[in-house]
Amino acid sequence: MKYTKKLILPLVLVLGILAVAIFTSINAVRSQASDKRTEIVFWHEMGGPSEDALEKVVDGFNKSQTKYKVVPKYQGSYDEAIQKILQTHGTSTSPAVFQAFDISAAQMIHSGFTTPVQKFIDQDHYDVSKIAPGARAFYSSNGVQQGMPFNTSQPVLYYNATLLEKYGIEKPPVSPSYSDITRVAQQLYEKSGHKTKGMTVQVYGWLLEQALANSKTSLANNNDGHTGNPTKVDLNNPQTVEFLKWIRENIKSGDFIDYGSGASAGANQTAGFLSDKVGIFIQSSASIGQLTANNTNKLGITYFPHPDGQKANGVAIGGAALWISNDKPKDIQKGAYEFIKYSLKPEVQAQWQKDTGYLALNKDSQKSKILKDLYKKSPESKVPGQQLATAKPNNFNSGILMEGMQLTRQLEEVAMETVYNGGDIGKALDIADKSINENLQTSNRANGYK
Amino acid sequence: MLKTPATSEVASEKKSVSKKKFVFRLNANDKYFSMFFLGPSLLLLGLFVFYPLFKTLYISMFLTDTFGNTTVFTGLQNYVNLISSADFMNSLFVTLIYVLAVTVLTITMGLLLANLASKKLPGIGIFRTLYSMTMGVSVAVAAIFWLFMFNPSTGFFALVSNALKLTPINWLTDPKNAMLAVIITTVWMNLGFTFLILLGSIESVPRSLYEAAEVEGASSSRQFFKITLPMISPTLFFVSTITIIDAFKSFGLIDLITKGGPTNATNMLVYRIYKDAFYSGNYAKSSTEAIILTVIIAFFTLIQFKFLEKKVNY
Repeated sequence: MKYTKKLILPLVLVLGILAVAIFTSINAVRSQASDKRTEIVFWHEMGGPSEDALEKVVDGFNKSQTKYKVVPKYQGSYDEAIQKILQTHGTSTSPAVFQAFDISAAQMIHSGFTTPVQKFIDQDHYDVSKIAPGARAFYSSNGVQQGMPFNTSQPVLYYNATLLEKYGIEKPPVSPSYSDITRVAQQLYEKSGHKTKGMTVQVYGWLLEQALANSKTSLANNNDGHTGNPTKVDLNNPQTVEFLKWIRENIKSGDFIDYGSGASAGANQTAGFLSDKVGIFIQSSASIGQLTANNTNKLGITYFPHPDGQKANGVAIGGAALWISNDKPKDIQKGAYEFIKYSLKPEVQAQWQKDTGYLALNKDSQKSKILKDLYKKSPESKVPGQQLATAKPNNFNSGILMEGMQLTRQLEEVAMETVYNGGDIGKALDIADKSINENLQTSNRANGYK
Repeated sequence: MLKTPATSEVASEKKSVSKKKFVFRLNANDKYFSMFFLGPSLLLLGLFVFYPLFKTLYISMFLTDTFGNTTVFTGLQNYVNLISSADFMNSLFVTLIYVLAVTVLTITMGLLLANLASKKLPGIGIFRTLYSMTMGVSVAVAAIFWLFMFNPSTGFFALVSNALKLTPINWLTDPKNAMLAVIITTVWMNLGFTFLILLGSIESVPRSLYEAAEVEGASSSRQFFKITLPMISPTLFFVSTITIIDAFKSFGLIDLITKGGPTNATNMLVYRIYKDAFYSGNYAKSSTEAIILTVIIAFFTLIQFKFLEKKVNY
């Protein structure tokens, strides 16, 4: 008796939860059945606040017409999604339209798994000249638009403007050099009585690649793959060394804090910045949304820093593009294109920039009230767009078109970690070069590229 | 006294076995009959264990292209490349260190806690619950919890070292400490299960043995080593086997806490296999690594059954 009484409450709870679960799933099935629109499965890798913003875009599309219904499905990180996309192609689980990030562009084009967006652009007589040319160029080959850029970012440098004002430190120029940043970081560290670390640079291969782009240096031969498939990588070059020396110098003087690599490092770094533990960091402009929403301090933004004694060459875009799978019937592919077209509308892109910090790709977005209001409220959110506009596209700052970029990035990060922990810069880069080149040669051989 | 019934039982069993054999031999359908029983499990094993195993072996002898198709036959070149690469040897080394540390620490601490908790003291129930609590924590929750603890600017350890004016330890960014951090987290995770199993086993040792020892004036440490340890040795064997295999397969915590970094200091074999396959898309390399891992685990299991099992007192 004693036990039965004790058991009643949990039993009722469990049964109640089960009943609710069954009821809701039946309802879901019913509502699906009543919706006769063609389903467009959309795989994406937007987490956190960006996912909410993306769902807004999808909802907007679904409400805008009666023929198609886009079903967004989160696939984890950019890195993980690539293999899922490639391995499920041709099966019933594969997506109709998917988001794949910048450095997988070469892989996606080589795969032959996608229908070039150009085909639909031509059929539809869509005017692409409104879409930022730098971003379009990144995802096209031989003048054919392969994927369509969607979320496009720029790496920028963030600083805590309130703290700089408080300690009377002169803020860095709009396009700072390495030593400009060192000066601010050291002053902040000293004047705060060592309470606030001056700066951090996340162990992130993307940032290293951007430092090369900004100092007019290519990582891979054949102009970073723009004039042919790369066969050799040269990481141990004077520009990488200078970038790492700059970081090393700050580590030595104590004003640098190392948050490590990976997603948790990114989160820790943001948390450290918001709680005044570190004053300067470099990250994608896509973080602006998060950094303004939760920030009691004034946010400062500058361009990506460049080496001393030379002008900034400009950085490559980051982010991802939308691609249409060619393993789905024509009707579904058409629907996927309709969704892409919708996502590039001026007001959709404007709202997307406001919500996330990714740059609005449609030129007409700048005229929209949403962005005008945003710039009035926080003028600094203009900086990433200006950085993109000032940079003249060339082979150094248009991304690296090479397969195996994910592995290359891992090896770059190992080299960075070695240096951060006191290892020799030249040696660390040589080791990375050796592994990257070995992998590149094996990959070229396996894929039958010359 | 005790021996006679036991031996006679064994004898009668032997008799019945030979009788059965005799009956079976008469049956012409014997082979088909046994296949009827073995078939389903053989089919499942073949489909889900042997086929993937041989396919992995096959892939490991080729180069694979971007989509994982085997393209160029290279024989044993993948194995040679791996074994001669310092990077892979480092992974092998850190895996061994990790497995060893996790197994030794989990079992000694589990044993210590179980022995303490088996004492009849007031309020011991609370401690038993506390010690076994980590069993209910999922890997993801544990990882997030420890990530908060290790956070260099707002974490618990950083706050303590700041308050004591010590230089803060870079838990997850210094290669030496990262391994320690992962080991601490794993041991913490494993402890609940190990503790519970060992406690149950200690509790089931007959009281009369301790009473007899006390009459003879044996000290409590002597009682532990001469009675408790031999009596729970089957459980210890089980727990150590499980812990070693689990430690070799450790993935979730590493993925969530260090991602194999910094400078590959925690890039264990299983994590490496995952990264090479599903990050880098190099299926040939990861298949080769998987085969090597299979050989290593088989080797350890064999050793355990060959040598350790003989020392076990059933």
